[in-house]
Amino acid sequence: MAQFTENFLQALVAGLLTGSIYGLMCVGLSVIFGVMRVINFAHGDFMMLGMYVAYYAFGLLGIHAVFGATVGPYVAALLAGPVIFLAGVLVHRLLISRVTGMRGNALQAEGHYAQLILTLGLALIMQNGGLYLFGSTPVSIATPLASNAWTIGPLVGDRVEIFVNQGQTVAAVIALIVVLAFVAIMSRSRLGKALRAAADNPEAATYMGIDVARSHRLAFGFGVAITAIGGGLLASGISFQPYVGLEYVIVMYAGVVLGGLGSVSGAFLGGLTIGLVQQMSTLFLPNQLQNTAIFVVFLFIVLLRPQGLFGTALRRT
Amino acid sequence: MLEIDSLSAGYGLVPVLNAVTLRVKPGEFAAIVGPNGAGKTTLFKTISGIVRPTSGGIRFDGRDLLAVAPSARPHLGIAHIPEGRQVFASLTVLENLQMGAYTEAGRRAWKENLEKVYSWFPVLAQRAKAQAGALSGGQQQMLAIARGLASSPKLLMLDEPSMGLAPTAADEIFERIVSIHSGSGLTVLLVEQRVAEALHFADRGYVLEAGHVVLEGSHDELKSNDRIRQAYLGM
Amino acid sequence: MSGTDSPASNRRRQALLIAAFAIAYGLLATFVEHSYYLLILAVVPVWAVMGLAWNLLSGYSGFVSFGHAAFFGLGAYFVALAQIHWGLSPWFGIPCAAAVGAVAGLVVGIPTFRLRGHYFALAMLAYPLALLYVFEWLGYQELALPMQREHAFAYMQFEDHRIYVWLALALMVGAMVLTSLVERSRFGMSLLAIREDEAAAEAAGIRTLAWKLKAITLSGALAGAAGGFYAVVLLVVTPPAVFGMLVSAQALIVAMFGGVGTLWGPVIGALVLVPLSEVLHAQLGSIVPGIQGVVYGVAIVAVILLAPEGVFWKVKDMITRRRATQAPAGTRAGAVVAALPARSRHADGAIVFEVRNASKAFGGIRAVRDVSLQVRQGEILGIIGPNGAGKTTLFNLLNGFIRVDAGRILLEGRDIAGRRPYEICAAGVGRTFQVVRPFRRLSVLDNVVVGAYVNASTDAQARRVALEALAQVGLQNEARQLAGALANKQLRLLEIARALAGKPRLLLLDETLAGLGAGEVEEVIAVVRNLAAQGITIVIIEHTMQAMVRLVDRFVVLDDGALLAEGLPEEITREPAVIDAYLGKRWRIANA
Repeated sequence: MAQFTENFLQALVAGLLTGSIYGLMCVGLSVIFGVMRVINFAHGDFMMLGMYVAYYAFGLLGIHAVFGATVGPYVAALLAGPVIFLAGVLVHRLLISRVTGMRGNALQAEGHYAQLILTLGLALIMQNGGLYLFGSTPVSIATPLASNAWTIGPLVGDRVEIFVNQGQTVAAVIALIVVLAFVAIMSRSRLGKALRAAADNPEAATYMGIDVARSHRLAFGFGVAITAIGGGLLASGISFQPYVGLEYVIVMYAGVVLGGLGSVSGAFLGGLTIGLVQQMSTLFLPNQLQNTAIFVVFLFIVLLRPQGLFGTALRRT
Repeated sequence: MLEIDSLSAGYGLVPVLNAVTLRVKPGEFAAIVGPNGAGKTTLFKTISGIVRPTSGGIRFDGRDLLAVAPSARPHLGIAHIPEGRQVFASLTVLENLQMGAYTEAGRRAWKENLEKVYSWFPVLAQRAKAQAGALSGGQQQMLAIARGLASSPKLLMLDEPSMGLAPTAADEIFERIVSIHSGSGLTVLLVEQRVAEALHFADRGYVLEAGHVVLEGSHDELKSNDRIRQAYLGM
Repeated sequence: MSGTDSPASNRRRQALLIAAFAIAYGLLATFVEHSYYLLILAVVPVWAVMGLAWNLLSGYSGFVSFGHAAFFGLGAYFVALAQIHWGLSPWFGIPCAAAVGAVAGLVVGIPTFRLRGHYFALAMLAYPLALLYVFEWLGYQELALPMQREHAFAYMQFEDHRIYVWLALALMVGAMVLTSLVERSRFGMSLLAIREDEAAAEAAGIRTLAWKLKAITLSGALAGAAGGFYAVVLLVVTPPAVFGMLVSAQALIVAMFGGVGTLWGPVIGALVLVPLSEVLHAQLGSIVPGIQGVVYGVAIVAVILLAPEGVFWKVKDMITRRRATQAPAGTRAGAVVAALPARSRHADGAIVFEVRNASKAFGGIRAVRDVSLQVRQGEILGIIGPNGAGKTTLFNLLNGFIRVDAGRILLEGRDIAGRRPYEICAAGVGRTFQVVRPFRRLSVLDNVVVGAYVNASTDAQARRVALEALAQVGLQNEARQLAGALANKQLRLLEIARALAGKPRLLLLDETLAGLGAGEVEEVIAVVRNLAAQGITIVIIEHTMQAMVRLVDRFVVLDDGALLAEGLPEEITREPAVIDAYLGKRWRIANA
């Protein structure tokens, strides 16, 4: 019993810590989904790019040398944000804007799927191009914090001890701060309100003088940048290779759909829940099936609450 | 103030507007009436840039509007209150008004505009913190108009403000529009399916049918026109 | 689809083309010695079959699948495991793999078809990825098919690799024949209608869910067979190779590259892309790992940006547009408005249709409140009311798009409330839409043929009924045009014809006169009157009264979701409440 309690609490802590980072990544996806109504298939691959940016910034750009092995990985992770923001804005301008927004609506019949398939193509290029650029050997950012843990306990008569990984804790706190900062921007600033207005009703937003195409571009940039920071934070905890994004794209969609379309705080909570599901599943399932557990949860979510996601019931009329 | 010259537009292969010409003078209250599907809303969307014309020209304050990006047109002083209200349902009433004041002019005059708008529509002040989607249809229409006014426009374009409203609510909206027009001297271009009311208040009217302007004239000319009386007023 | 020749000669030409292609491809293989090139030649048809499988579901029905690897992988693992554990020869294993794929398709389809659009695509993505991890966990990281040197032929293990090419070719020809049979039948037409507009298809009597399930089952079977054969050719099965995203992506990409919703599209796509990526992989794979994925990625991005629906459709659209613009415009002057048959009142006819206390609310908005009305045999009932009065919502309740919260809807005494739209259509209720919803990429005739299926036992009969319906509305000369190229009046008439083809006893017309010029209104009114004269009962919505006064026998006025007034045209126009709702109080006072 004590063993189970310990395992349970350990999984709970691990779930909350990983979940915070998943939450951050989900917020990024939810911005794109919420503002542009676009499913970005390549979102996991922008996360992957963020991981490699953090990795190379830490090693090659000398962040390791300047900030040291303890602080450096987090600086590198935050640096991934602006870099991937620019990449996202560029990709949106060159490719995605051609099939979305007002122009996308003008396409007939399957035009509606165009962006979905376009981002699938992007995902293939990024994954496989990444193989050439970064190689297939898994890498990781080395930080001493990742192998240190605080010990809580002993609790319940000396028998239960929980280890809280220091690296993960710092990462989770940073994730939380980034989310809060972003929520503040979205709810308070003029830019945030304009983005929300453009998401709510692009046509009416145009009548207000809001440049909807620019709003979409910024939303796409913000979205991939936030997720890239999440990737950067994850990069010191796990080892990764160019295909890593694929596993996370479903993790992120599960979180976003769970949290409710377009809601930033909902997306964070959704991601947190997915982190918990993933870690808790290890109590009952073999490790290899962690991701399967997430996929099953994801399927259940989309199958049980398809309404309220895209308003399909309304579209029928 | 607004000059539209033989404007044609359509969706795909289907033409909707056919060489429409009309003029709105500064301070005027102009109305465009006609049956559903005649192209009234398309005309408004073409003025705002959502629909691209196939030929013809639009000038606003002497400036070629077609050379201006859609999202830049509100900044010139055009406020388009779209058909079906289209308030930002997930934003609060106050945030909706702030979005109305997205234009430079609206931002500068924010305080006065807000006061004015609240005095015209006191219910909006009471519900400033409520989500716009939670308002009743009539209140949403008021918000849509207020949002347009918050941009300090020169031209107010109203697309079927009475649509879907109970007759009493529609009457109230009309009263408010008329008092705003007479009180502020704002130029108003109204599209309406309530032909009688629209022509009653307008200085000048245009009848649009199947994309053509079939009739135009001053208030008195139209009101005494037999064709109008027969076709639209059921007399 | 709407070829210029009869269906039979079209079919013969198609069969000849397929045979010619297969013979040429088979002969090509006989001249190739190098086993690597033979492998490529054997793999091309496999991916063509995957493309055809994807196309059968996603290309025709428009439900985009990102998960065909699930069926492919299950097929591959079935063949491998069955041979390892039970000694089952692939000769039997591959047909069984097709069955496994079919069952998987059905199992996946039943829950997943509750989703639409992006959600369907995403959910489909999750299936193969979940399976990938399960198979890794089961310990099937690398499964080799045991060599059977004694019974090589019995286990599909040939010294001469050309035989693999021919087998693959046979599989592909089978998939092509199947596709072409589907394409030209009620099955394929129904899927196309679903792709163009699922709600309109359902309202026209198409059992959309049943057809979609059939499509995914068949599609899963093809993909399962392709997977099974792939395992035999490569001799080794690994989870990433058969469940990986590249598998699903390749299926989609070969189909999209060549042309979505066409027979030859997936074949052309596979012929171009598979050898290209294989050769590049062989030449550059060591320097540029992942080049295959990049090739497919670039191919799909290019297709989406340059020809979003595949080369086939783009060319077809261009040709049709050119023809449409060359066609002489303005035949309106020649149209003869038939003398209007005199209308008799139907006060004594039997009640065909009745609505009792129907109500419907969306959230807090009560769109329809306690509406009751009766329609008599052969009557034309007009429903008028301002925009937003709940007229279209009422129609949506009547034809089953949405369910009533309370109340009953009786068709000839039977309660049809809560039935699916296709059931209500089959029961004898046809409808048109306020914003026209034709199947734009189908010909005018095919649009109407889709509407005829509900009451036709054979495809030939459906065609005959459709031609009659077109003649009734006067569109027989436009039968071969794409519906998307029609003008407003013709689209309105097309919708009437589509509804008519289902042999309805009650016809619901939603703002059929909207946006028509004065002359056009007269033409459409004449058509509607003729239908009524044939005994079809008609309910028509309009929001203006002018033309309606001359068309209908009786009016019902809706305002704000509730019944405001009811009566004969001359009564209604004098009703003060109606004048208020329509013309505004002020006007009445001013003109009193």
